[in-house]
Amino acid sequence: MDYGNSFGGGGFMPGEMSASPGGGGKGDLNNTTLRPITIKQALDASQPYPEANYQIDGADASSITFVGQVRNISTQTTNVTYKIDDGTGEIEVKQWIDTSTAQDTMETDDGKGPGAPGKDQVELNGYARVFGRMRAFANKRFVSAHCVRPLRNINELHVHLLEAAAVHLFFARGPPGGAGAGAGGAGAGAGAGAVGDAAMGGMDDYAAQAKGLPAMSPVARRVFNLLKTEFQSNEGLHMQVIATKLGLPMADVQQAIDELLSAGVIFSTVDEYTWAVLEYH
Amino acid sequence: MSLQTPRVLPAHLHAFHPSSGAPSTHTIRLLGTVSALHGDTATITCGGNGDVTLVLRPDSHLQMGKLVEVVGKVMDLEGGGLGVRVLGTMDWGNPADCDYKIYEKVVEATHKLKPIFYDSNE
Repeated sequence: MDYGNSFGGGGFMPGEMSASPGGGGKGDLNNTTLRPITIKQALDASQPYPEANYQIDGADASSITFVGQVRNISTQTTNVTYKIDDGTGEIEVKQWIDTSTAQDTMETDDGKGPGAPGKDQVELNGYARVFGRMRAFANKRFVSAHCVRPLRNINELHVHLLEAAAVHLFFARGPPGGAGAGAGGAGAGAGAGAVGDAAMGGMDDYAAQAKGLPAMSPVARRVFNLLKTEFQSNEGLHMQVIATKLGLPMADVQQAIDELLSAGVIFSTVDEYTWAVLEYH
Repeated sequence: MSLQTPRVLPAHLHAFHPSSGAPSTHTIRLLGTVSALHGDTATITCGGNGDVTLVLRPDSHLQMGKLVEVVGKVMDLEGGGLGVRVLGTMDWGNPADCDYKIYEKVVEATHKLKPIFYDSNE
Protein backbone atom coordinates (compact mmCIF):
# COMPACT_ATOMS: atom_id res chain seq x y z
CA MET A 1 0.00 0.00 0.00
CA ASP A 2 2.09 2.89 -1.17
CA TYR A 3 -0.44 5.51 -2.06
CA GLY A 4 0.90 7.78 0.63
CA ASN A 5 4.02 8.69 -1.24
CA SER A 6 2.34 9.66 -4.42
CA PHE A 7 -0.32 11.62 -2.63
CA GLY A 8 1.51 13.30 0.21
CA GLY A 9 3.52 15.65 -1.93
CA GLY A 10 1.97 18.71 -0.35
CA GLY A 11 5.09 19.67 1.51
CA PHE A 12 4.06 18.24 4.84
CA MET A 13 6.84 16.65 6.82
CA PRO A 14 5.76 13.43 8.49
CA GLY A 15 7.34 14.67 11.70
CA GLU A 16 4.91 17.51 11.86
CA MET A 17 2.01 15.18 11.89
CA SER A 18 3.07 13.08 14.82
CA ALA A 19 2.63 16.04 17.11
CA SER A 20 -0.85 17.35 17.63
CA PRO A 21 -1.80 19.22 14.50
CA GLY A 22 -1.97 22.84 15.34
CA GLY A 23 -0.79 22.14 18.85
CA GLY A 24 2.12 23.84 20.44
CA GLY A 25 0.39 26.06 22.95
CA LYS A 26 2.01 26.12 26.35
CA GLY A 27 0.96 23.36 28.67
CA ASP A 28 -0.49 21.25 25.89
CA LEU A 29 1.31 18.20 27.12
CA ASN A 30 0.16 18.61 30.69
CA ASN A 31 -3.46 18.92 29.84
CA THR A 32 -4.84 16.37 27.48
CA THR A 33 -8.34 16.44 28.88
CA LEU A 34 -10.96 16.14 26.22
CA ARG A 35 -13.81 18.49 26.91
CA PRO A 36 -17.28 18.12 25.41
CA ILE A 37 -18.59 21.51 24.33
CA THR A 38 -21.13 23.23 22.13
CA ILE A 39 -20.05 25.32 19.18
CA LYS A 40 -21.33 28.43 20.94
CA GLN A 41 -18.89 27.70 23.75
CA ALA A 42 -16.08 27.38 21.24
CA LEU A 43 -16.99 30.73 19.72
CA ASP A 44 -17.28 32.34 23.16
CA ALA A 45 -14.06 30.84 24.53
CA SER A 46 -11.58 33.39 25.77
CA GLN A 47 -7.83 33.52 25.51
CA PRO A 48 -6.07 35.00 28.53
CA TYR A 49 -3.18 36.16 26.35
CA PRO A 50 -2.25 35.60 22.71
CA GLU A 51 -1.08 32.07 21.95
CA ALA A 52 -2.49 30.81 25.24
CA ASN A 53 -4.84 27.91 25.49
CA TYR A 54 -8.45 28.82 25.10
CA GLN A 55 -10.48 28.89 28.26
CA ILE A 56 -14.11 27.99 28.78
CA ASP A 57 -15.74 28.74 32.12
CA GLY A 58 -12.33 29.74 33.42
CA ALA A 59 -10.75 26.36 32.78
CA ASP A 60 -8.34 25.46 30.04
CA ALA A 61 -10.03 23.66 27.20
CA SER A 62 -7.26 22.67 24.88
CA SER A 63 -8.73 19.47 23.50
CA ILE A 64 -12.39 19.63 22.68
CA THR A 65 -15.07 17.51 21.10
CA PHE A 66 -18.43 18.49 19.66
CA VAL A 67 -21.07 17.22 17.31
CA GLY A 68 -22.90 19.07 14.58
CA GLN A 69 -24.24 19.02 11.09
CA VAL A 70 -21.76 19.37 8.26
CA ARG A 71 -22.82 22.40 6.20
CA ASN A 72 -19.89 22.53 3.83
CA ILE A 73 -16.91 20.37 2.91
CA SER A 74 -14.03 21.82 0.97
CA THR A 75 -11.06 19.67 0.16
CA GLN A 76 -7.75 21.42 -0.31
CA THR A 77 -4.25 20.20 -0.91
CA THR A 78 -3.20 20.15 2.71
CA ASN A 79 -6.47 20.04 4.56
CA VAL A 80 -10.18 19.42 4.44
CA THR A 81 -12.27 22.28 5.76
CA TYR A 82 -15.70 21.57 7.17
CA LYS A 83 -18.34 24.01 8.32
CA ILE A 84 -20.08 22.51 11.32
CA ASP A 85 -23.38 23.73 12.78
CA ASP A 86 -24.86 22.27 15.94
CA GLY A 87 -27.79 24.62 16.37
CA THR A 88 -25.87 26.86 18.77
CA GLY A 89 -23.47 28.29 16.24
CA GLU A 90 -21.28 27.53 13.30
CA ILE A 91 -17.52 27.00 13.20
CA GLU A 92 -14.89 26.02 10.69
CA VAL A 93 -13.04 22.77 11.21
CA LYS A 94 -9.80 22.01 9.42
CA GLN A 95 -8.45 18.53 9.24
CA TRP A 96 -4.90 18.34 7.97
CA ILE A 97 -4.34 15.52 5.57
CA ASP A 98 -1.64 13.17 6.73
CA THR A 99 -0.39 10.09 5.02
CA SER A 100 -2.71 7.66 6.69
CA THR A 101 -5.90 9.59 6.01
CA ALA A 102 -4.68 10.26 2.49
CA GLN A 103 -4.40 6.55 2.05
CA ASP A 104 -7.96 6.02 3.24
CA THR A 105 -9.21 8.63 0.83
CA MET A 106 -7.37 7.03 -2.02
CA GLU A 107 -8.81 3.67 -1.21
CA THR A 108 -12.37 4.82 -1.10
CA ASP A 109 -11.90 6.92 -4.20
CA ASP A 110 -10.68 3.91 -6.07
CA GLY A 111 -13.46 1.82 -4.69
CA LYS A 112 -10.92 -0.56 -3.25
CA GLY A 113 -11.83 0.01 0.36
CA PRO A 114 -13.18 -2.92 2.30
CA GLY A 115 -16.93 -3.12 2.66
CA ALA A 116 -19.16 -0.30 1.54
CA PRO A 117 -17.07 2.52 0.15
CA GLY A 118 -17.51 5.82 1.93
CA LYS A 119 -18.97 4.19 4.99
CA ASP A 120 -16.74 6.19 7.26
CA GLN A 121 -16.91 9.30 5.15
CA VAL A 122 -18.51 12.43 6.52
CA GLU A 123 -21.51 13.43 4.44
CA LEU A 124 -22.75 16.88 3.58
CA ASN A 125 -25.65 17.83 5.90
CA GLY A 126 -25.05 14.68 7.91
CA TYR A 127 -23.97 14.82 11.53
CA ALA A 128 -20.35 14.43 12.52
CA ARG A 129 -18.34 14.28 15.70
CA VAL A 130 -15.19 16.36 15.80
CA PHE A 131 -12.19 15.96 18.07
CA GLY A 132 -9.64 18.73 17.96
CA ARG A 133 -8.15 21.90 19.33
CA MET A 134 -9.23 25.48 19.00
CA ARG A 135 -6.94 27.67 16.97
CA ALA A 136 -7.08 31.11 15.45
CA PHE A 137 -5.74 32.36 12.18
CA ALA A 138 -5.93 36.02 11.23
CA ASN A 139 -8.48 36.60 13.99
CA LYS A 140 -10.69 33.87 12.67
CA ARG A 141 -11.36 31.03 15.02
CA PHE A 142 -11.32 27.48 13.77
CA VAL A 143 -10.87 24.00 15.10
CA SER A 144 -7.89 21.98 14.07
CA ALA A 145 -9.28 18.47 14.07
CA HIS A 146 -7.54 15.21 14.94
CA CYS A 147 -10.54 13.28 13.83
CA VAL A 148 -13.84 13.98 12.13
CA ARG A 149 -16.15 11.02 11.93
CA PRO A 150 -19.79 10.60 10.98
CA LEU A 151 -22.34 10.31 13.77
CA ARG A 152 -25.18 7.96 13.03
CA ASN A 153 -26.96 7.46 16.34
CA ILE A 154 -29.14 10.36 17.41
CA ASN A 155 -28.78 9.38 21.05
CA GLU A 156 -25.09 10.16 20.82
CA LEU A 157 -25.98 13.67 19.68
CA HIS A 158 -28.37 14.20 22.57
CA VAL A 159 -26.03 12.73 25.14
CA HIS A 160 -23.25 14.96 23.89
CA LEU A 161 -25.39 18.05 24.45
CA LEU A 162 -26.28 16.89 27.95
CA GLU A 163 -22.66 16.06 28.68
CA ALA A 164 -21.58 19.50 27.53
CA ALA A 165 -24.20 20.98 29.84
CA ALA A 166 -23.05 18.83 32.77
CA VAL A 167 -19.40 19.75 32.28
CA HIS A 168 -20.30 23.42 31.96
CA LEU A 169 -22.21 23.27 35.25
CA PHE A 170 -19.32 21.45 36.86
CA PHE A 171 -16.95 24.30 36.05
CA ALA A 172 -19.40 27.13 36.56
CA ARG A 173 -21.05 26.01 39.79
CA GLY A 174 -18.84 23.29 41.14
CA PRO A 175 -19.45 19.58 41.41
CA PRO A 176 -22.86 18.17 42.17
CA GLY A 177 -23.74 16.36 45.34
CA GLY A 178 -22.86 17.26 48.89
CA ALA A 179 -25.46 18.24 51.43
CA GLY A 180 -24.81 21.92 50.92
CA ALA A 181 -25.29 21.85 47.18
CA GLY A 182 -28.20 24.12 46.47
CA ALA A 183 -29.23 26.75 44.00
CA GLY A 184 -26.67 29.39 43.26
CA GLY A 185 -23.82 26.99 43.75
CA ALA A 186 -23.78 27.08 47.53
CA GLY A 187 -22.00 23.77 47.56
CA ALA A 188 -19.47 24.90 45.01
CA GLY A 189 -16.33 22.91 45.29
CA ALA A 190 -12.79 23.39 44.24
CA GLY A 191 -13.20 20.98 41.41
CA ALA A 192 -12.13 23.37 38.73
CA GLY A 193 -8.75 23.42 40.36
CA ALA A 194 -7.91 20.28 38.54
CA VAL A 195 -7.70 22.41 35.39
CA GLY A 196 -10.01 20.13 33.57
CA ASP A 197 -8.39 16.95 34.78
CA ALA A 198 -11.34 16.14 36.97
CA ALA A 199 -12.95 13.05 35.63
CA MET A 200 -16.69 12.92 35.99
CA GLY A 201 -16.32 10.12 38.48
CA GLY A 202 -14.03 12.19 40.60
CA MET A 203 -16.54 14.87 41.37
CA ASP A 204 -17.45 13.57 44.77
CA ASP A 205 -13.89 13.83 46.00
CA TYR A 206 -13.80 17.47 45.15
CA ALA A 207 -17.17 18.10 46.65
CA ALA A 208 -16.05 16.59 49.92
CA GLN A 209 -12.91 18.70 49.93
CA ALA A 210 -14.53 22.03 49.63
CA LYS A 211 -17.68 21.67 51.59
CA GLY A 212 -18.90 24.98 52.78
CA LEU A 213 -16.90 27.07 50.34
CA PRO A 214 -19.18 29.94 49.39
CA ALA A 215 -20.08 30.60 45.79
CA MET A 216 -17.20 32.19 43.94
CA SER A 217 -15.53 32.45 40.58
CA PRO A 218 -13.94 29.36 39.06
CA VAL A 219 -10.51 30.99 39.24
CA ALA A 220 -10.91 31.62 42.95
CA ARG A 221 -11.91 28.01 43.43
CA ARG A 222 -8.84 26.86 41.54
CA VAL A 223 -6.59 28.99 43.72
CA PHE A 224 -8.30 27.70 46.83
CA ASN A 225 -7.91 24.14 45.70
CA LEU A 226 -4.23 24.66 44.97
CA LEU A 227 -3.62 26.19 48.40
CA LYS A 228 -5.45 23.31 49.95
CA THR A 229 -3.77 20.46 48.11
CA GLU A 230 -0.30 21.72 47.26
CA PHE A 231 2.48 20.63 49.59
CA GLN A 232 3.58 23.68 51.52
CA SER A 233 5.16 24.86 54.71
CA ASN A 234 3.25 26.77 57.36
CA GLU A 235 3.95 29.87 55.37
CA GLY A 236 1.58 28.96 52.58
CA LEU A 237 2.21 29.83 48.96
CA HIS A 238 3.50 32.99 47.33
CA MET A 239 1.23 34.50 44.70
CA GLN A 240 3.98 34.14 42.14
CA VAL A 241 4.03 30.39 42.80
CA ILE A 242 0.25 30.20 42.51
CA ALA A 243 0.34 32.06 39.22
CA THR A 244 3.00 29.74 37.82
CA LYS A 245 1.32 26.57 39.00
CA LEU A 246 -2.04 27.49 37.60
CA GLY A 247 -0.66 29.22 34.54
CA LEU A 248 -2.64 32.35 35.31
CA PRO A 249 -1.64 35.99 35.00
CA MET A 250 -0.85 37.71 38.30
CA ALA A 251 -3.84 40.02 37.96
CA ASP A 252 -6.23 37.06 37.93
CA VAL A 253 -4.53 35.51 40.94
CA GLN A 254 -4.77 38.82 42.78
CA GLN A 255 -8.47 38.97 41.99
CA ALA A 256 -9.00 35.42 43.17
CA ILE A 257 -7.05 36.13 46.36
CA ASP A 258 -9.20 39.18 47.03
CA GLU A 259 -12.29 37.08 46.54
CA LEU A 260 -11.09 34.31 48.84
CA LEU A 261 -9.93 36.83 51.43
CA SER A 262 -13.28 38.57 51.54
CA ALA A 263 -14.91 35.16 51.90
CA GLY A 264 -12.66 34.62 54.91
CA VAL A 265 -11.24 31.29 53.79
CA ILE A 266 -7.56 32.27 53.41
CA PHE A 267 -5.13 34.51 55.28
CA SER A 268 -1.77 36.12 54.56
CA THR A 269 1.27 34.72 56.34
CA VAL A 270 4.81 36.15 56.14
CA ASP A 271 3.91 39.02 53.85
CA GLU A 272 0.96 40.29 51.88
CA TYR A 273 1.85 38.10 48.89
CA THR A 274 1.91 34.76 50.69
CA TRP A 275 -1.31 33.00 51.49
CA ALA A 276 -2.53 29.91 53.32
CA VAL A 277 -5.87 28.29 53.80
CA LEU A 278 -7.70 29.18 56.97
CA GLU A 279 -8.83 25.90 58.44
CA TYR A 280 -12.25 26.71 59.71
CA HIS A 281 -13.85 23.35 60.23
CA MET B 1 -23.21 35.77 14.28
CA SER B 2 -24.10 32.46 12.89
CA LEU B 3 -27.64 31.23 12.83
CA GLN B 4 -28.89 29.57 15.96
CA THR B 5 -31.61 26.96 15.83
CA PRO B 6 -32.90 26.11 19.31
CA ARG B 7 -34.18 22.58 19.81
CA VAL B 8 -37.81 22.69 20.93
CA LEU B 9 -40.93 20.66 21.57
CA PRO B 10 -44.36 21.43 20.04
CA ALA B 11 -45.42 23.23 23.21
CA HIS B 12 -42.66 25.80 22.75
CA LEU B 13 -43.53 26.83 19.21
CA HIS B 14 -45.57 29.86 20.30
CA ALA B 15 -42.45 31.38 21.88
CA PHE B 16 -40.76 31.42 18.49
CA HIS B 17 -43.72 32.79 16.55
CA PRO B 18 -42.93 36.08 14.79
CA SER B 19 -45.67 37.81 16.81
CA SER B 20 -44.11 36.78 20.11
CA GLY B 21 -41.83 39.78 19.82
CA ALA B 22 -38.73 37.73 20.39
CA PRO B 23 -35.80 39.23 18.53
CA SER B 24 -34.77 35.82 17.30
CA THR B 25 -35.02 34.58 13.76
CA HIS B 26 -37.83 32.15 14.67
CA THR B 27 -35.79 29.29 13.33
CA ILE B 28 -36.06 26.14 15.40
CA ARG B 29 -35.27 22.45 15.39
CA LEU B 30 -37.89 19.80 15.99
CA LEU B 31 -37.61 16.05 16.24
CA GLY B 32 -40.46 13.73 15.38
CA THR B 33 -41.74 10.75 13.49
CA VAL B 34 -43.42 11.34 10.14
CA SER B 35 -47.05 10.30 10.70
CA ALA B 36 -48.79 11.77 7.65
CA LEU B 37 -47.81 13.05 4.22
CA HIS B 38 -50.13 15.23 2.11
CA GLY B 39 -48.25 16.54 -0.87
CA ASP B 40 -46.80 19.81 0.26
CA THR B 41 -47.51 19.34 3.94
CA ALA B 42 -46.68 16.63 6.43
CA THR B 43 -47.33 15.85 10.06
CA ILE B 44 -44.74 14.70 12.54
CA THR B 45 -45.47 13.21 15.93
CA CYS B 46 -43.10 14.40 18.61
CA GLY B 47 -43.01 11.54 21.07
CA GLY B 48 -45.80 12.08 23.58
CA ASN B 49 -45.77 15.81 22.99
CA GLY B 50 -48.28 16.13 20.17
CA ASP B 51 -48.19 16.63 16.43
CA VAL B 52 -46.82 19.45 14.33
CA THR B 53 -47.78 20.29 10.76
CA LEU B 54 -44.86 20.94 8.45
CA VAL B 55 -45.04 22.97 5.26
CA LEU B 56 -42.57 21.24 3.01
CA ARG B 57 -40.15 22.50 0.42
CA PRO B 58 -40.26 21.07 -3.09
CA ASP B 59 -36.96 19.33 -2.40
CA SER B 60 -37.99 17.91 0.96
CA HIS B 61 -38.04 14.14 0.91
CA LEU B 62 -39.79 12.73 3.94
CA GLN B 63 -40.66 9.09 4.36
CA MET B 64 -43.53 7.77 6.43
CA GLY B 65 -42.57 6.31 9.77
CA LYS B 66 -39.06 7.73 9.77
CA LEU B 67 -37.62 9.85 12.53
CA VAL B 68 -36.73 13.28 11.19
CA GLU B 69 -35.05 16.33 12.57
CA VAL B 70 -36.53 19.45 11.04
CA VAL B 71 -34.98 22.88 10.87
CA GLY B 72 -37.64 25.42 10.09
CA LYS B 73 -39.44 28.64 10.86
CA VAL B 74 -42.57 28.90 12.97
CA MET B 75 -45.55 30.15 10.95
CA ASP B 76 -49.35 30.46 11.06
CA LEU B 77 -51.29 27.71 9.36
CA GLU B 78 -54.19 28.60 7.08
CA GLY B 79 -56.62 26.67 9.20
CA GLY B 80 -55.34 28.33 12.35
CA GLY B 81 -52.71 27.08 14.73
CA LEU B 82 -48.98 26.98 14.39
CA GLY B 83 -46.90 25.07 11.92
CA VAL B 84 -43.33 24.94 10.76
CA ARG B 85 -42.06 25.95 7.34
CA VAL B 86 -39.32 23.47 6.58
CA LEU B 87 -35.85 24.75 5.71
CA GLY B 88 -34.08 21.44 5.99
CA THR B 89 -34.62 17.93 7.23
CA MET B 90 -32.34 15.22 8.46
CA ASP B 91 -33.44 11.60 8.34
CA TRP B 92 -32.51 9.68 11.49
CA GLY B 93 -34.01 6.39 10.38
CA ASN B 94 -35.96 4.16 12.70
CA PRO B 95 -37.71 6.03 15.56
CA ALA B 96 -37.15 2.98 17.77
CA ASP B 97 -33.43 3.80 17.77
CA CYS B 98 -34.03 7.09 19.50
CA ASP B 99 -34.93 7.53 23.13
CA TYR B 100 -37.28 10.52 22.92
CA LYS B 101 -36.98 11.07 26.67
CA ILE B 102 -33.35 12.04 26.18
CA TYR B 103 -34.41 14.61 23.60
CA GLU B 104 -36.94 16.05 26.04
CA LYS B 105 -34.16 16.42 28.59
CA VAL B 106 -31.94 18.03 25.98
CA VAL B 107 -34.63 20.61 25.22
CA GLU B 108 -35.04 21.29 28.91
CA ALA B 109 -31.30 21.59 29.55
CA THR B 110 -30.60 23.73 26.50
CA HIS B 111 -33.22 26.27 27.50
CA LYS B 112 -32.10 26.40 31.11
CA LEU B 113 -28.47 26.93 30.15
CA LYS B 114 -28.68 29.60 27.50
CA PRO B 115 -25.14 30.88 28.03
CA ILE B 116 -23.67 27.76 26.46
CA PHE B 117 -26.39 26.91 23.97
CA TYR B 118 -28.25 29.97 22.79
CA ASP B 119 -27.89 33.70 23.06
CA SER B 120 -29.73 34.86 26.12
CA ASN B 121 -31.89 37.26 24.16
CA GLU B 122 -33.62 34.43 22.38
